[in-house]
Amino acid sequence: MDSITKKPFPRALLVLDILAAVSLAVALWMALVYAPRELVMGDVQRVFYFHVASAWTGMLGYLLAVITSIAFLRTGKMNLDVASLAGIEIGLVFTALCVISGSIWARPIWNTWWTWDPRLTTAFIMELIYAAYLLLRRGVEDPAQRARLSAVYAIIGFITVPLTFLSIRIFRTIHPVIFGGEASVGSSNFVMSSQMLQAFLFSLFAFTLLFAAFYWHRLRLGLRQQQIEAIELQRRQDEEEE
Amino acid sequence: MTYFATIMLVFRKDLLAERRSREILSSMLVFALLSVIIFIFSFELLADLQKAAFAGTLWVSLCFAGTLGLTRSFSLERENNALAGMMLSPVDRSAIYFGKVLANWVFMLVLSVILVPVEGFFFNLNPFQWATLGIILLGTLGYALCGTFLAGITGRLRNRELYLPILLFPVIIPLLLAAIRATSAALNGGAAGEIGTWLLLMSGYDILFVAVGLLLFEAVIADA
Amino acid sequence: MTPDTTAYMIAGFSVILIGVIGYMLSLVVRNWMINHRQRK
Repeated sequence: MDSITKKPFPRALLVLDILAAVSLAVALWMALVYAPRELVMGDVQRVFYFHVASAWTGMLGYLLAVITSIAFLRTGKMNLDVASLAGIEIGLVFTALCVISGSIWARPIWNTWWTWDPRLTTAFIMELIYAAYLLLRRGVEDPAQRARLSAVYAIIGFITVPLTFLSIRIFRTIHPVIFGGEASVGSSNFVMSSQMLQAFLFSLFAFTLLFAAFYWHRLRLGLRQQQIEAIELQRRQDEEEE
Repeated sequence: MTYFATIMLVFRKDLLAERRSREILSSMLVFALLSVIIFIFSFELLADLQKAAFAGTLWVSLCFAGTLGLTRSFSLERENNALAGMMLSPVDRSAIYFGKVLANWVFMLVLSVILVPVEGFFFNLNPFQWATLGIILLGTLGYALCGTFLAGITGRLRNRELYLPILLFPVIIPLLLAAIRATSAALNGGAAGEIGTWLLLMSGYDILFVAVGLLLFEAVIADA
Repeated sequence: MTPDTTAYMIAGFSVILIGVIGYMLSLVVRNWMINHRQRK
């Protein structure tokens, strides 16, 4: 029997969803139509607006995950564990989109699918770290232990990222990788006109709304999953005692 | 018992346990040597390429073989429940961590002492430089610091041998990259500044994990 | 002079939009699964 109270869908969330969807559509129009075409790279440069916005969203997710992980270790509130997982899941999705779109952007410009750009490479390594986080969670059965161990790993994973970035940066500085005749230093060596800047900033804004909506939904989902797991654990314990 | 005494106790206990059953250290060694040979086979056997590949082969083999020693680091305790006993003492738990780090560091150093000359023999180059010594000391220490901590996390899982490499390798990348580049620079006559930069990065990594151990190890073994 | 990279632009945006919609769908599906799970 379903003894979980289904919380009614909050109005604020519905409003947020609609706002996010609308601003995403507007951002898309601004990126595709409003912003002028860049002369050197052509239309593919427009991907940059959503590419950076995805990276931004991914980082928001990871950042929230680290903060809630630290908070969990200090307070022990299981809600925070759900919050961490939500942040990392969203971080994984959007960082992956960032890396893939970055690769697509690089292909026509530098004639290679992968540039060893420190930021993209670090993003890829972060994917591996947090994929490992998900695997770790799968390997621990006790919810409290799982929350604790994954919180610790989330923190460790995060704090090695600056060092990872630094090490790749130093590596690339000493051993520059040459593509198509010129050294590839960064992904965005073009000057932004004011319209481009507006499209860029609005994309960031739209994706932030998107993040908020996704995060809230994922939190609700996670909290309900947590409830169900607790109930099933209790049920199993009761059965064992009989 | 004081903090330092606890560290030494754990250190000596872990070393002694290994001394009585040498199996782990010899497995690590065999594994490392096999890695080296496989790497050599997988490259073309050209003299120039081999020289460039020495550093990478060394450190990747150390990393892989090291996981064997790391997983043992906390499984001993589980079999004997010694960890619970140790936690009764009112000393900060990180002392246990540092004791195990020291033991694992010693294992990695023993591995290096054998692996470096042997690999130099295979690659036909002389790896003995002062810089190499420093790099190996800092690198194996960083590996022990990070690896022991993650071994603590995975030690209580059923498939701990499976999870430790998955958790370890993405996180050890800055250390690994620095160690490989520094070793390569040291052997191929790179600028002292370059080696210094990498050594600085490795030191930063080591210090970071000392802090991590001090702050977070308590949370890792909270339910032993 | 300006290269025609429109195809790549479409690919890039498609990937991102498919990703976003895909994740949204995964949330919808997972919510539905929770609501309609059969309990023993």
